[in-house]
Amino acid sequence: MSDPLGPSSESGMFAKESFLTVEPVRGKVHPAVALDHTTFDTAFVAALEGELSMAYRLAGYLLADSAEAQDAVQEASVRAWRGWKDLREREKFHSWFSQILVNVCRTRLRQRSKRRTVDVEDVSLESPDPFRAALARDAVGRALSSLSNELRMVVVLRYWGELSLAEIADRLRIPVGTVKSRHHAALQVLRRRIQPVEGGTT
Amino acid sequence: MSDFDLDDEMDREIDRRLAALARNTREPALPDGVADLPWTVQLAPQRTAPFSFLRGLGGFGRAATSVARLGLTLAVAGSFLLLVGHIRTGGSSAAIVELPATPRPSGGITAPAGPEVVVVPTSGSVDDVMASFVAGAVRRAEADGAAAVIIELDTLGGSEAAMQDIVKSLNSKVPTIVWVGPSGAKAASAGTFITLSANLAYMAPSTNIGAASPVAAGGGDIAATYGQTEADKVMADAIAAIRSIAENRHPEAVAWAITTVQSAQSYSAQQALDAHGINGIASSIDDVLNKADGQTVTTSSGTVVVHVKGASIVTINEDVVQSFLHTLDDPNIAFILLVLGILLIGVEFFHPTLLMGLVGAMALALSFYGSGSLPLNVLGVVLVVLGLGMVVLEPNVPSHGILTVAGIAVFVVGAVAFYGSPGPYLPMVTVAWPVIAVMAAAAAAYGLVLVGTLIQMRRQPAPVGLGLVGTDKVVGMTGSVQADLSPVGTVYVGLESWSARTRDGANLSRGSKVKVVGQEGLILIVEQVE
Repeated sequence: MSDPLGPSSESGMFAKESFLTVEPVRGKVHPAVALDHTTFDTAFVAALEGELSMAYRLAGYLLADSAEAQDAVQEASVRAWRGWKDLREREKFHSWFSQILVNVCRTRLRQRSKRRTVDVEDVSLESPDPFRAALARDAVGRALSSLSNELRMVVVLRYWGELSLAEIADRLRIPVGTVKSRHHAALQVLRRRIQPVEGGTT
Repeated sequence: MSDFDLDDEMDREIDRRLAALARNTREPALPDGVADLPWTVQLAPQRTAPFSFLRGLGGFGRAATSVARLGLTLAVAGSFLLLVGHIRTGGSSAAIVELPATPRPSGGITAPAGPEVVVVPTSGSVDDVMASFVAGAVRRAEADGAAAVIIELDTLGGSEAAMQDIVKSLNSKVPTIVWVGPSGAKAASAGTFITLSANLAYMAPSTNIGAASPVAAGGGDIAATYGQTEADKVMADAIAAIRSIAENRHPEAVAWAITTVQSAQSYSAQQALDAHGINGIASSIDDVLNKADGQTVTTSSGTVVVHVKGASIVTINEDVVQSFLHTLDDPNIAFILLVLGILLIGVEFFHPTLLMGLVGAMALALSFYGSGSLPLNVLGVVLVVLGLGMVVLEPNVPSHGILTVAGIAVFVVGAVAFYGSPGPYLPMVTVAWPVIAVMAAAAAAYGLVLVGTLIQMRRQPAPVGLGLVGTDKVVGMTGSVQADLSPVGTVYVGLESWSARTRDGANLSRGSKVKVVGQEGLILIVEQVE
C-alpha cells in the first residue's frame, strides 16, 4: 500500500529508529558529551568514551572555538551511533570515529568561511574561549589562524592529534603525498608569518 | 614524527615550536566553563521489532507488517471465541450447563406440595444457546420429577441444527408442552417444527405459526448459493422432517403442516387448531395447565396422563452468559457488530494500537458467530464490506470525498439486503432502518472525522521543548541569552538550552531577549529583539 502522506507520516506508522534528545542537565558533566549508558549499546558507549577527550581537543583546535567543538563532538557522536550497526570492524572504531569528526569539522569550517560570519582572529584575543586563549599565548599559535582550512587541519592533526603522515591521510581521505606537501606549505606560511614579528621584536 | 623529513632548519624550528605548543596545550584541562555543558546526548535505543527486517521493503514491508499484526490480533480474538463457543454449546458432554436437581426441602417425607411444572421462557433466534438452555431445563425437570415442562415460545426461526437439538430434547421422560405466547408471539420457521414436536402444543390468541414469509420459488438464497439441486434437497428434507413430526401429532395435521414449509403458509391459532395442528388455545400459562390436565401423552418412558392442575410453577431463566450470547443472534446486533468490527480494524490497520484491532476482531468474530442462525445474504454482506472498505480507503486515495459518498451508498444498499430470503428454518429478518442510518452515519464520521484527525496528528510537527531536535521549528521562536554571546554562546529557547551565535556577530550579554532566525546543525542563529 502506498503511503500518500509522504515521509512526514513516518512517525505515525513506525517511529523513527532513533532520535536525538537534548536535555538540560544541572551541574557538571563529563567534558564534551555526557552519555546515558542505559539507552546506548554498552560497547558503543565504551568505545565512544575513549574517544571523547581527544576528539574534543582536536575539534577545539581545528575550529578554535569551544562551543563549536562541543557541537562538533556531539554531531560526530550522533553520526557514529547511526553508523554503529553498520560498522563491520569494531576494532577500527578509533580511526573511523576520527574520520567522522574530521569530516564534521571540515564541514563547519567550510560553512564558516562561506558565510563569512566572524573572523576568528578578530575576537580571539578578547574571547575567553580556552582554545583561542591557549593558542594566543604563543606566536606560532596565533599564526595558526592565518592558515587555510586545509593546511590548518593537517597541522592540528599532526601536532595536537600526534598522528603520522599515513594516519592524517587516512583521516582526511587524501593521498599521503598531499598531506606531505600541505604540511610543508603550512610550515612555510607559519614561518613567514612569524619571522617579521620576531624579527621585529628581537 | 620522523616520517616528516624536513630539510630546512627553519622548518624544523617551526615544527619543534608547534610540537611544544601542542604539548603545552594538551590539557588546557577543559576549563570549568567548558565542562559546564548544558546538555547530555541521549539516543532512543534501536528498536528490535520482530518484523524490523521488513522495513527494508518499504511500503510493501509496512503493509506486510500490518497484515501480520492484524492476523495475530484475529488469531487471539478467534481463540477467545472458540472458548466462548465451547462454553456456549456446553461442550460435547454438556457438563458445563448441567443443572442440579432442585433440592426438595423436606426430602419428600412430608406430604407432597402438589405437582411441579417447569416453565422455560424463550425468545429470539433458535440457536445453540436456546438449544442448550432448553435441554438443561428438560434435564432438570426430569431430575426433579416434574409433572411437565412448558416451553414458552416466541421466535422467528433459526438454525436447523439447534432446532433438531430442541426437538430431541422435547422427546423426554417428562411430558413436554409448547405454548406459543403471549399474544402477538410467533412460532415461525424453525419455531413451527418445535411447536409441533412437543407432546402438547397450545397457542395464545393472536399468535401465528408457520413460515414467516414466502420463500422465493425454489428456495431463494439456498438456490442462489448452492444451486437448485441443493435447494430442492433442503426443501425435501424439511418436508420430510415436518411430516414425521406432524404424524406423531394427528393424521389430519400432516397435510396442513407441510403447507407451512412447502408453500410458506402462516396460520393463526384458530386455523392451527382447526387443522388439528395444536391441542388448543390458551391465553396464559395457568390456562395451559387447566387445558393440559388429564390429557394422555406418549413420552419416551411410555404413555402417561398429565396431571398439572394447580401445579406449582418453577420458572427457569437463561443465565447471564446465555442471555448475552443469545443477544448476539439479534439481526440488528449482528449487523452492528460487523460494522463496528470492520471500522475498528480499519483504524488498527492505519493507526496501530493493538487494542482497537483486538476489539474490532472480537466484534467481527461475535458478529459471525451470532449470524450463524440468521439468513445472511451473501451479496448484502459483500456490499456492506465493500462500502466500508471504500470509506476506510478514502484518506489513502485522493478522491475528494467521492469514495466516502459512494461507499456510504453501497453500504446502505448492502445493509438493506443484509439478510436474504430464508430457507425453511431461518427467520425472516431485516436490519432496522434506524440502525442502518446510525451505522451509515458512524461510517461517514469515521471517514471524515476520525481519519482526518489522525492525519492531522501525523502531519503535526514534533513539538519543540519535548527533547526533540532536528526540526527547524525553533526558527522564529524567541528566548533569552543564557551564556553571553560573544558572538557564540548559549540561549534558552523552547525549554532547552541551545548553542547559538548572533547573526551579525554582535555580542549579547546574559538575559538579552533574542529571536531565532536560523539554524546550522545544532547551533541557532539569533538576533536581538527589543
